[in-house]
Amino acid sequence: MIAYILRRLLLWIPSVILVMLGVYALAFYGAGDPIKLIFLRAPGDVAYDPVKIEAIREQAGLNQPFLVQFGNYLWNLVQGNFGNSLFSGRSVWAMISAAAPVSFMLGLMAMVVTALVAIPLGMVAGMHQNSRLDYSILGTAVTLWAIPPYVAGPLLMVLLLAVLPSGSVPYGWGGVFSVKIILPLIVLSFQPIALIIRQTRAAVIDVMTEDYVRTARAKGVPERVVALRHILRPVLTPVVTQLGLIMITIVNGAIFVELVFGLPGLGRLTVQALINSDYPVILAVTLIGSFLVMASNLLVDLLYPLLDPRATDPKAART
Amino acid sequence: MTDQTIITPPEDRPNSLWSDAWRRLRRNRLAVAGLAVLAVLIFVAAFGPWLTPYDFLTQNLDARNLAPSLSHPFGTDDLGRDVLSRVIYGARTAFLVAVLVTAVAVLIGVILGAIAGFYGGRFDKVLMWVTDMTMSVPQLLLVVVINASLKQPITLWMEARYMETMNPLYRNSAIIDFVLVFGSMALITWPPYARLVRAQVLSIRNRPYVTAARALGLTNRIILTRYVLPNAAGPLIVAISAGLGSAMVLESAFSFLGIGVNPPTPSWGNMISDGLRVWTNYPHLLLAPAAVLAIVTVAFNFLGDGLNDALNPKGQK
Amino acid sequence: MKTNTGERNGLTRRGAMKLGLGSFVALAAFGPGARIVMAQDGQVLKAINPAFSQDWSPLRGGGVPYRWNSIWNASAMYFNEKGEIQPYVLTEWTPSADYVTWTLKVNPDAKFADGSAITAADVKGSWELSAMPGTQNQRIDQVLAGVAGYGAVKDGSATDISGIVATDDASLTVTLAGPDPIFFQRLANHIAPIVKVSVARGADGNEVPDFFLGANGATSGPFMLESANLDTGELVWVPNPNFFGPAPKLARIELTAVEDNVTATQMLASGEYQAHTELVTSTIVQDLGPEFAAGAEIPTSQHFWFNTARAPMDDPKVREALILAVDRDGLIKASFPDGPHQKTDSVMNAVTGADDPAFTPYPFDPERAKALLAESSYGGPERLPKLMFVGISSPANEAAAQYIAEQWRQNLGITAVDMKPQQDQYSGPDQNAIQIFRDDVGTRVPDAASYLAGSIASTSGNATGKMSYKNDKVDALIAEALTKPADDPARIALAQEAQRIFRDDFCFIPWYRQTMSRWAAANVTGMEKNLDWQVVAPWAISIT
Repeated sequence: MIAYILRRLLLWIPSVILVMLGVYALAFYGAGDPIKLIFLRAPGDVAYDPVKIEAIREQAGLNQPFLVQFGNYLWNLVQGNFGNSLFSGRSVWAMISAAAPVSFMLGLMAMVVTALVAIPLGMVAGMHQNSRLDYSILGTAVTLWAIPPYVAGPLLMVLLLAVLPSGSVPYGWGGVFSVKIILPLIVLSFQPIALIIRQTRAAVIDVMTEDYVRTARAKGVPERVVALRHILRPVLTPVVTQLGLIMITIVNGAIFVELVFGLPGLGRLTVQALINSDYPVILAVTLIGSFLVMASNLLVDLLYPLLDPRATDPKAART
Repeated sequence: MTDQTIITPPEDRPNSLWSDAWRRLRRNRLAVAGLAVLAVLIFVAAFGPWLTPYDFLTQNLDARNLAPSLSHPFGTDDLGRDVLSRVIYGARTAFLVAVLVTAVAVLIGVILGAIAGFYGGRFDKVLMWVTDMTMSVPQLLLVVVINASLKQPITLWMEARYMETMNPLYRNSAIIDFVLVFGSMALITWPPYARLVRAQVLSIRNRPYVTAARALGLTNRIILTRYVLPNAAGPLIVAISAGLGSAMVLESAFSFLGIGVNPPTPSWGNMISDGLRVWTNYPHLLLAPAAVLAIVTVAFNFLGDGLNDALNPKGQK
Repeated sequence: MKTNTGERNGLTRRGAMKLGLGSFVALAAFGPGARIVMAQDGQVLKAINPAFSQDWSPLRGGGVPYRWNSIWNASAMYFNEKGEIQPYVLTEWTPSADYVTWTLKVNPDAKFADGSAITAADVKGSWELSAMPGTQNQRIDQVLAGVAGYGAVKDGSATDISGIVATDDASLTVTLAGPDPIFFQRLANHIAPIVKVSVARGADGNEVPDFFLGANGATSGPFMLESANLDTGELVWVPNPNFFGPAPKLARIELTAVEDNVTATQMLASGEYQAHTELVTSTIVQDLGPEFAAGAEIPTSQHFWFNTARAPMDDPKVREALILAVDRDGLIKASFPDGPHQKTDSVMNAVTGADDPAFTPYPFDPERAKALLAESSYGGPERLPKLMFVGISSPANEAAAQYIAEQWRQNLGITAVDMKPQQDQYSGPDQNAIQIFRDDVGTRVPDAASYLAGSIASTSGNATGKMSYKNDKVDALIAEALTKPADDPARIALAQEAQRIFRDDFCFIPWYRQTMSRWAAANVTGMEKNLDWQVVAPWAISIT
């Protein structure tokens, strides 16, 4: 088991280095020069001073050849040094360690909410296929899927402001147990809930045709028992394998939710870094994002044999 | 992307499977509604410029931010342009984006997935590693970085070609936007298709009729194109219909972040992001494009679900 | 040019009366006992910042945090909202007859938050610290560029500006490299505010990182930082108990980061928040009332600059055609229909006495524009290279650029126009394609010659970086104007002549002259700002 995890980690390292090399190359050869951007954005009365620009560039080590720069970056990274933001000068590690907990907590909560809401609803829909109940659950799911978080967010927030004119504005980060988290959580969970409802429903419909379910039902086992004992477990398997996909949906959604609700998380950090061409931050976020996706895929592969005893080869999980 | 291509029967398979599916699909009202919306979208995208009541670029500063009325059913925007005309023209943008992204992604996904699944072995390992790597990149990040770094050099190169040749094609900034931004999007959205096709191929590869075909001495290529791929088509079509919808949503997401189609070319995405700035004052500027986008996305999903049920009547087996 | 502290108090009192508080309150505020009363009053100003600003050093001379500099930092002098100079840390400034040597007197009462006196050495050290290249002050050139020995500090070869000498604890002499009759005006801003040098400056002469976050003792302004959480974007200031000026009326200032303007507008409209750092939306007057965005006009203006080095802007006829084809009444209507900014025709704006009756505004003449384009070396719209805008980073900018593009399409048949909303991804001024830069120009001294020196003289960043513009006649006129005393009419006349010559080179589409909005609710008094973007009298802010 441990050897397997290690092997996966070893496979991940070259791929993430390749990805970072790609991002670095794009930054180096094409993108806006971050140092010049700082000046270009400054108002007209700020002198555009090429000497100053070159001095800052040299200080940041941005005047060296591409591979030297990238090598230096990796070497620093191995030593645990993420460098400093080109834009604010703050340590990237400090920025990330402040932002990451916010995003992780939010993402985790969204996961929990999604599982608690979507799996029961999906099962109900699947067990009553083509009923009115099924259609209304499915219809709601599809509609939720169609409303992007950056539209749902402002709408819900301003509607709430209209209802509670003097109340606390649901803006900013107050921790996991603050009421401020409710609205972002709802908006962030919309799309994953829709996704999981549909996955669960499809899986339930699939399982319902299996002989052992038919037998159980024919024997007069109560529906609730059938659902929990015979359907839930096989249904969880394909749903869990979608964990990676949900993860991506949540990570992408979090960017918008954090922007709309002013949460100081990784998503907001990323967008700021992209606008400013702040490459030390972009690379660090790429690394973390890549690790997250890899880790969740690994988790899926490890969970899979537990949920489905038939599968012995963990690699078969993600087919 | 018309239903014509969907019901084309593959060789050596009974026609009844596809016509059965079509019959089942027609019985699903939601799916039919989705299909109708899709047809309207295609029509509007194709003939949009002849359907719009006004020119989508013409400004009228005396008619700024008008609420919907008979002469402007969706109202006007901050420069006095007719919102209905811009939504109609935006359908073309949305449709092009969705089709382009999905087509490229499906093409890459099918080819790589089929090869990986069919031949297996080392090939499979390498491809799955590439898939993992691609999936591990934060999508949004990659698209923005590609956009930021490559768009300008390509724009300048196209402009240089135009000045040489005076061919207006090189001046079409939409081409740059679509090919580059959404092309790059396609390059990172193919892995789900590849995995899906690979899984299908794996499950079909060892079916008796494939084994029999192999025993008869048919080449791998023929087996792959005649027997394996047609069987994988069902789930793929379902995935495509969902993919088309999410590609449109992605386009609007990128516009919200300030990349994507440049103004003044209308896209639903940049209309939504403009509308979000003033929607407390002029809700119609947000509602019109957001509602249209939502309807189309929902339509694609209903169609996808309908196709899923129609193609796998007793569940996926 | 000499003033004393009595006059300063008088002025503040006048300001307080204007705010409707009455002389009783104003007098009470100056009494030593009043401070406690006011602190117990407990008024809290809740303000919104549009960004999660990461760097709050008072020495950066720019960025979003700069707009709050006067809240917690004292400067040498400052301008009030009418453009009149006021003493602050410095109370006297006396030039030599040739305007080369200046004698400055430090306010003997000036103190830091820890109660220690602000000395001449602190003034000198703060200026040197701001000039150090590592400090990365964006605008220190505008303050100290003329001082002898400034260059050596700026390029990193020295840490001591030889031209600034602290003769004793209370006075300095500043020697300039050449005569500058308005040098004193250049000191009247918060670009290089006064900080406690023993705290802010390290042994190597560089800024101590984050000195301003920890050490309240270094604070010289009316308020001091109580807490700052850069990750959540929340900052709190409380009154500086040792402030040497009038006691602050507010008990607390809380700043919260809200990036989304619609949300920020709602929070302001609900009354929960009262002020904003800089809120630019097209509906601000409708949403928050005219008082919110009201303010004085400052010598700053926004224009679209043409880069004359790049095709097709290398042809003056094309430039003229592009200018004449735009109806600039429509331009302001498309971008700021309800104000607060007003249309302008010239580069130079809001400098007293500098409006030029002999200046001919560019007319709106589509026929002439069409003819000019046909006559130009490009022969018409088809062969014109694609026109690219940069700096289209706000809704108003985007509306204006789209309006211009549409005018060109309608009046000249030009369809190839490119612009990037929200993000400026073009790499920089030396990237050889962008022809049109949207940017503001202006000055921190109410002076015509300096205004043009910073915008159209070939030594300015705007002329070299954005326009590739150099006209020897313009340069000579501005150079001559700069040598004239501030009250010499020739100073303005020469600048006006330079502007008229610049006008005929057809290098810009004039857009608007800037109003320095209060960005505060109607019930907040004392939020008037000056040409330095600072709250003029932060101690006078109160909520009624």
